[in-house]
Amino acid sequence: MQMVAEAQERPEARPIFGNGERANRLKATRFGGKLVNDYWESLFAAKEQGKKVVWYNGTYIPPFFHAHDVAWVHGEAWSAMLSAKHREVTAQARGDEKGYDRELCSYARTHIGQLLIELDKIKAGTSDIAPDDPRIETMLKLPPPDMIINAYPYCSSGQQWDDITYRLFGKRVPMMTISIPLLWGGRPDAGYLRGEEWNERSRYVADQLIAMTKFMEEHTGRKFDFDRLSEAMGYVKKAAQLRLEAMDLCTAQPSPASFFDWIVSIAPVNFLPGDQNIVTYFEGVLAECKERIARGEGAVKDEKYRLFFDGMMNWNKVGWLADKFAAVNACVVAGRYTHMSFWQEPELIDVNDPVLGMAQNYLICPNNHGAPIMIGEIEKICDKFKIDGMVMHAARTCRGMTNSQFLIADSAKRHGRQALFFEGDVADESFYKDELLNVRLEAMIEALDAKARAA
Amino acid sequence: MDEILETMAVVAADPLAYARQWKKETQGRVIGLFPMHFPGELAHAAGALPVILQEDDEPITVGQAQVFNFYCGYNRSIIDQALRGEFEVLDAILFGDHCVQLLGTADVIRASLPKMPILFNQLCSILDAEWAKAETVRTFTQLWKELEALIGQPIAPEQVQASIRLFNRNRALIRQLYDLRRAGEIALTGRQMQDVVKSSMVMDRAQHTVLLEKLIAGLERRGPPTDAVRVFLSGHLCHAPKLPVLDLIEDCGGVVVDDDLYHGFRFVFWDAAETGDPVEALADWYLLRSTKVPCPTRAVKSLDWEDYLLRNVRASGAQGLIVLMAKFCEPHMYFYPEIKEAFDRHDIPHLLVETEHEEMPMETLKTRVETFIEIAKRRMAA
Repeated sequence: MQMVAEAQERPEARPIFGNGERANRLKATRFGGKLVNDYWESLFAAKEQGKKVVWYNGTYIPPFFHAHDVAWVHGEAWSAMLSAKHREVTAQARGDEKGYDRELCSYARTHIGQLLIELDKIKAGTSDIAPDDPRIETMLKLPPPDMIINAYPYCSSGQQWDDITYRLFGKRVPMMTISIPLLWGGRPDAGYLRGEEWNERSRYVADQLIAMTKFMEEHTGRKFDFDRLSEAMGYVKKAAQLRLEAMDLCTAQPSPASFFDWIVSIAPVNFLPGDQNIVTYFEGVLAECKERIARGEGAVKDEKYRLFFDGMMNWNKVGWLADKFAAVNACVVAGRYTHMSFWQEPELIDVNDPVLGMAQNYLICPNNHGAPIMIGEIEKICDKFKIDGMVMHAARTCRGMTNSQFLIADSAKRHGRQALFFEGDVADESFYKDELLNVRLEAMIEALDAKARAA
Repeated sequence: MDEILETMAVVAADPLAYARQWKKETQGRVIGLFPMHFPGELAHAAGALPVILQEDDEPITVGQAQVFNFYCGYNRSIIDQALRGEFEVLDAILFGDHCVQLLGTADVIRASLPKMPILFNQLCSILDAEWAKAETVRTFTQLWKELEALIGQPIAPEQVQASIRLFNRNRALIRQLYDLRRAGEIALTGRQMQDVVKSSMVMDRAQHTVLLEKLIAGLERRGPPTDAVRVFLSGHLCHAPKLPVLDLIEDCGGVVVDDDLYHGFRFVFWDAAETGDPVEALADWYLLRSTKVPCPTRAVKSLDWEDYLLRNVRASGAQGLIVLMAKFCEPHMYFYPEIKEAFDRHDIPHLLVETEHEEMPMETLKTRVETFIEIAKRRMAA
């Protein structure tokens, strides 16, 4: 998820709101745009290079694919990319035509809709897309899967999405589903990264990951190379450490980077290959954060308010939202999606024997803890970054991330933080209501000002 | 027979009132279970009354503060009931099924009823995985231990076997009713069949079983009207369709002859082994049941819900299929297009009815159902 915002947004897109200031985005993230483009180009050439292709959904398992030298397509990333490029509508319309309800996960509707378009073309033996259609550059190149792997923490919808993908390919593509169960945290010894349930579930997921390597061996006829997995995880771990170090620098006021910079930095720790490039990427991000702190330069001009973003990203609106908050001198410093996922516990990974630590990182994705532990971790982040208020994105079709949002908002209020909700979605722009956010954000800013005056 | 059906209807209409009365009379524990696949047998063996928590008919009020309106009516109703204090009768809640919305609901209940023990043990949803059996055995073993801790004493395997036998007997009797209805020997309406099944989810199983035995013996052997269109109902994976919807189908000239509803055949079609290790028996029951009546929340690569429906619509002699889809039910939304296309291919009349907790415009629905019945009649005549 995934792309560099500058490359995706309509150039004229900009909210008419606030003081007109725009977000001061990190320049270092531009390198990510190149990496992402290289990744897709490499993927599109995979079949020509004789590589097997895995379609997968869910957590960040690509190091296993990288180690086994197969190409990989992340369904969410594909949907997010189409959405960020404002090219999701045709795919979703094809899904509508098939009968998928609009209330269904819009990641899934976009991905399945695109798949249906591809299948239509195969059946027709021709393409009905105009040669100058901008979608053609990517759509025509998406390689069909040789394997499907599903590894969705928490979300049942994610699992069912691939059950449908499997059927749409006529059950001819081998599929494996990995269960990453919720850490409910109900036993007496339960806590963050501790307790009987944590140990038990960690081993359960790790065993399934080992089974996944055997599944890939079976369908490629090649032995899985665990040394290569260790090598890839060495880079991933280093990149994750650098990312966290750079995130920690955002305790500075003004914050050198914002949630939106971390959003566009997800791809390197989510689905890009585990190699030196992702380390170089975060070295660049870290260096720029340090430079900004030295200069007193913030991600938002004249930062006055520090906010936390809860919920899944609205991929149609990355730059738009970054500018909107900047226009009221509010820096969204951290978020549940960015700061509680994507190898956020790199020290759990033993690069010489990485599978258990990988399983554990998959288990602690931002919604896979029961609410008490998850909210406890959110509050720690809010305290650390001196957060004034919470922005709750109620993503219409993403129940995985909207679950517990009222509890999170209640907790924020108990801790003296403002909270606002706004409606939107992960990949369906029609659910986003800009003016509602404007009014609520203005109200929050008023309330924060009043609180500051009273203090 | 009317008296028995009325007793079941009263319980089905207000399950928690029954639970409160049972508790008052027995001083026993009442344990709430969330749907869809959790075995009540273990809670029963612990000496408790297992009650599957139901959507109620109250409008969502205080619950709005803790759940979005884009969640299914069942989840919204359950949260509303929790916040209204309706679950005070419960001594514990068991759950762990594979529905992302339900996971969120359980967290809201935990926050709003902090003293309520919630025994969470997530079921493996990948039924054809090579580790599914071991994981399910582990899950039920853990649940067994937690129930023992809850009641403060051990639960003997023989107790669980006895509960399995009783539950099997209860299910078998309801299946007899289904067989009689399919064969056209009895004329239980959709409403009555739902009352039978729903009350079995709530009542003391022994008491319910006695009622069933009397009902089967005493039900008048007469079929439904011969000119009615025979309808198969599908869907509603975890809560009961509104009774007026079922009435409407029959008022429009249909007769329900079979279903795969959770508050229907899906709940009763499969039994656990009565001998051997009871945990193994319950694990097998869980793993095998979705291979008999496919559930879209379970990943079984070899099974297709639409194939099952085609087969069973034909077997029941139904002339059309009505799909009852609870609004915002994600697994159903994923799989509905597969069903629609299959029934289109086989030229079998079918109708999708999206249901909601509130705001079901019955007059609009009536027009659609009448049209569906008319189409089915014309197909029969052609």
